[in-house]
Amino acid sequence: MSEQHGFVRRYVFSTDHKTIGIQYILTGLLMALAGGLLATLIRLQLGWPDHQWLFLSRLLPKGMPSGVMTPEFYLAVVTMHGTIMVFFFISYVLVSGFGNYLVPLQVGARDMAFPFLNMLSYWIAFLAAGVMLASFFVEGGAAAAGWTAYPPLSAVSSAVPGSQMGQTIWILSMALFIASFTMSGLNIVATVFSVRAPGMWMMRLPLTVWSYFIASILGLLAFPPLTAAAVMLLLDRHFGTSFFLPSGMVIGNTHLTNTGGSPLLWQHLFWFLGHPEVYVLILPALGVACDIIPAFTRKPVFGYRMSVWCLMAVGCLSMIVWGHHMFVSGMSPFTGEYFSLVTLTITVPMTIFGVNMLASLWGAKLQLRVPMMFSLGVLALFGSGGFGGLFLGNATADMQLHDTYFVVGHFHMMIGGVTLLATFGAIYFWFPKMFGRMMNETLGKLHFWTTFLPFFTIFFMQHFLGLQGAPRRYYAFTAYDYLQKTRGQNLIISIAAMILVSSQCVFAINFVWSLFKGRVAEANPWGATTLEWTVPSPPPHGNFGNMPVVERWAYEYGVQTVDGDFAVQTVPSQIAPVSA
Amino acid sequence: MNGYAGHVGRVLPDPPDPIRLREDQLRLGLWMFLATVTMLFAAFTSAYVVRRSGSDWHHIALPSILWVNTFVLMASSVAVEMANRFGLRRRWPATAFSFGAALAFGIAFLGGQVIAWRQMVAMGVYLPSNPHSSFFYMLTGAHAVHIVAALIVLLWGLAMTREGSRNPRAWAAQMDLCRTFWHYLGGVWIFLFALVSLY
Repeated sequence: MSEQHGFVRRYVFSTDHKTIGIQYILTGLLMALAGGLLATLIRLQLGWPDHQWLFLSRLLPKGMPSGVMTPEFYLAVVTMHGTIMVFFFISYVLVSGFGNYLVPLQVGARDMAFPFLNMLSYWIAFLAAGVMLASFFVEGGAAAAGWTAYPPLSAVSSAVPGSQMGQTIWILSMALFIASFTMSGLNIVATVFSVRAPGMWMMRLPLTVWSYFIASILGLLAFPPLTAAAVMLLLDRHFGTSFFLPSGMVIGNTHLTNTGGSPLLWQHLFWFLGHPEVYVLILPALGVACDIIPAFTRKPVFGYRMSVWCLMAVGCLSMIVWGHHMFVSGMSPFTGEYFSLVTLTITVPMTIFGVNMLASLWGAKLQLRVPMMFSLGVLALFGSGGFGGLFLGNATADMQLHDTYFVVGHFHMMIGGVTLLATFGAIYFWFPKMFGRMMNETLGKLHFWTTFLPFFTIFFMQHFLGLQGAPRRYYAFTAYDYLQKTRGQNLIISIAAMILVSSQCVFAINFVWSLFKGRVAEANPWGATTLEWTVPSPPPHGNFGNMPVVERWAYEYGVQTVDGDFAVQTVPSQIAPVSA
Repeated sequence: MNGYAGHVGRVLPDPPDPIRLREDQLRLGLWMFLATVTMLFAAFTSAYVVRRSGSDWHHIALPSILWVNTFVLMASSVAVEMANRFGLRRRWPATAFSFGAALAFGIAFLGGQVIAWRQMVAMGVYLPSNPHSSFFYMLTGAHAVHIVAALIVLLWGLAMTREGSRNPRAWAAQMDLCRTFWHYLGGVWIFLFALVSLY
């Protein structure tokens, strides 16, 4: 066993799912730092459009030569912010990181089904992150075609500086990411299917595991079309094919020889991945919040079975709604009608899930500890962000709102905010299990309020910017008369963004300080019921001494045992009645 | 709150057979991988169907060696099946021979595909010549990459066959993986060949 191995095998090239999970989490947090700094640059430009930031001109002589950002650099920053946050922060920390750490522990396994593949997936992921960051330093700078990499901008090397080497590296990094994410997803699905502890029936799995399970299946099925699209994009870029490039294109003064390709083909293939991908991110966020909440309400989650069925329904529906990202692409009104209908249908299981979370709070005496506050934040953002989805899913309304800040506000609340708050909630909740120490509660609460309030302010206001017609991705909105009146709003948003970014220092300090000086954690500091709390903090290699035998579901609160008002999943029925 | 440790008393009644478990996991893993490969080629196919409606689409004449390649690949699948049957009857030399033949046919298929590409080039049809040729090179290339991966798996299967007599059950499970992967890619080729020739 690797307990006998040296430092390198234990902490670097480890096959232990817990080490790999923590590696993913730390890598993702570092990438979040990069993504957050890029967001700061965006907000500096939009909040103070003509201000000369002289210290930045020294740091970024090419992107901000006189202290003001160049339009090309702005496009690259926006692209990389989106790419890093979606694929290299949330996917790494919440999906692969916590997925790796929690799934084997919560199903009662000693490790993932394929530990070596798991290690391989992490190191490929690490490489992907490094390659993506490296693209800032090549000629022309990083990719600039948006995180969606729409051609022709992404397919013609001479289009903008970012379309040169930066875009090629972007594609290669994404290829590595997809390979790694596929391995990771395959592992999670195989683990849930094949190495559950005896008695851990599917309908006894914690909602966290269910959400990772369904998200992983979605990832496995949705990512290959992006691989196919990326291959075609590479061929268009470097080998003269015309998959995505139409006839008659003129870039600069050059007439391109491509004929007959379809930029919309890329959009279909991209969004066939892209839409399930948002559920790959958001389902684990909801699952994690569902498991944190009962530990602080001291009562079972409401409607467990219904929530599971909703997750499955959302998973299936998410594969057939991608066209709602393309309502203004000139699609037939009948197709638009179809995509509107299925999109609005998906709100039904999502709403049931959200209402179940809300009902889980009903009648409980809430213990407002830090993980619980973040989980309530998840619920708040899920509810308010979800309303925006009703407008955008409707083709008629989307025609007006498409490509405005309404969309930016909506998706930041959902795949930005819900996932960000769930990630923090998960870190505060499982930090004691991972490192054997508690995080500081006061700093945690300060972090919560200085994250939640600015976040909500920023993206709530962006909905209204969108309603006023402010287009997204514009570098200089001051150039348009009708947008002059939004200047004050952009200033407030930028100030809130600065507070949001600065407040993450509180988290960083708390994280590092608690690693070394935090109060030593017991095995089960929150009085929670799932299997990871039955083992010491941090769990030993192999997780469990004797393999656990599961006797009940994951939400047995409100019963009296020697431990308190709950029964962990291994407590036999003779000691406390079994609800499910 | 650590008192519940005392409750974890029930002993595992019947621990699962580790070899059986591993077989199940590998089979599951393979099928999930094949699901992703299916989605990859499904995406290529839908792109083909969409792109085909473009006004610049010209159907190019494909080299007739593709028919030979197809039969070679089918022969390879037959050889894998024969190896399996010989193995089940514990006729190990014949098993290894059939498996080796399957591997040789697999490599011959790849060689045949390269010849097909060279014939296309000789006719002046390159990757960017027209959309049909772009798809032809891309689809056959993507398929060939998977064939290379499968040949590595077959090579592993052949190496395992040498030890097959020591543990026939484990060998049969490994053989299952090889057969599934190889036949699957044979099926994908027949589909792709039909697509680029007929549609």
